[in-house]
Amino acid sequence: MSDFSDSLSVSTSGLKAQATRLRHLSENIANADTPGYRRKTVPFEQAFGAEGAGGEVRTGLVSLDRSELERIHDPAHPLADDSGHYEGSNVDLVIEIADAREAQRSYEANLKLFDQARQMSSALMDLLRR
Amino acid sequence: MFDQLEVFRTAHSMAVHAGARHALAARNIANADTPGYRARDIPPFHEVAAGTTGSLRTTRPGHIGADPGAARAQPAERAGALSDPNGNSVSLELEMLTAVEARRQHDRALAIYRNALILMRLSLGRR
Repeated sequence: MSDFSDSLSVSTSGLKAQATRLRHLSENIANADTPGYRRKTVPFEQAFGAEGAGGEVRTGLVSLDRSELERIHDPAHPLADDSGHYEGSNVDLVIEIADAREAQRSYEANLKLFDQARQMSSALMDLLRR
Repeated sequence: MFDQLEVFRTAHSMAVHAGARHALAARNIANADTPGYRARDIPPFHEVAAGTTGSLRTTRPGHIGADPGAARAQPAERAGALSDPNGNSVSLELEMLTAVEARRQHDRALAIYRNALILMRLSLGRR
């Protein structure tokens, strides 16, 4: 039985981590046109210690992408400097969408395994029911 | 057949093995995006049962490691797995395959167990 509860808790941690990643991605996409916004990236790491005995995954500290902000030419913009440019965000929608697709794929795989572990343990319980 | 109940022991260790393998597949999939994580797996049941994995073979129940539930196969890194640039070697497709394999093995073990149980009940004259 402990293998199944291991399975379930590990899958749950995977689901949680992927959902967090997806949330940060949607924040990035929502702020794609916010001037001066830097895209957030969230790292995955293995949880150690008491909570990570079974090899759970968790998300680490959120960091900001340090790459150049896009300079947009629009002299009429309130934030425009002397040369008529202002700094936009460094969000690349293509990257965000591709990342979101990957997160979705991993989320589904975790969900599938969760369901399988649940079905296996309930099949075990069915042995007793007769 | 009825003084040793070998069928039950084999079915039991088969189900335990399937559960352990499924747990490892779940761990691999949860860590599919963790940098530096190496995929782990245990050898399939027929190798463990045949004793070709390097663990002790037993000829009598009193020997060390004779308990089928206790003689757990040790997880090892999956050999020959290609790793991503970030050092992660999990392949989602391969893990899904392992999980389905474990699931089927578990179902099979339970079916064997259930049928042996029915057989025992029949021989006792109860249904």
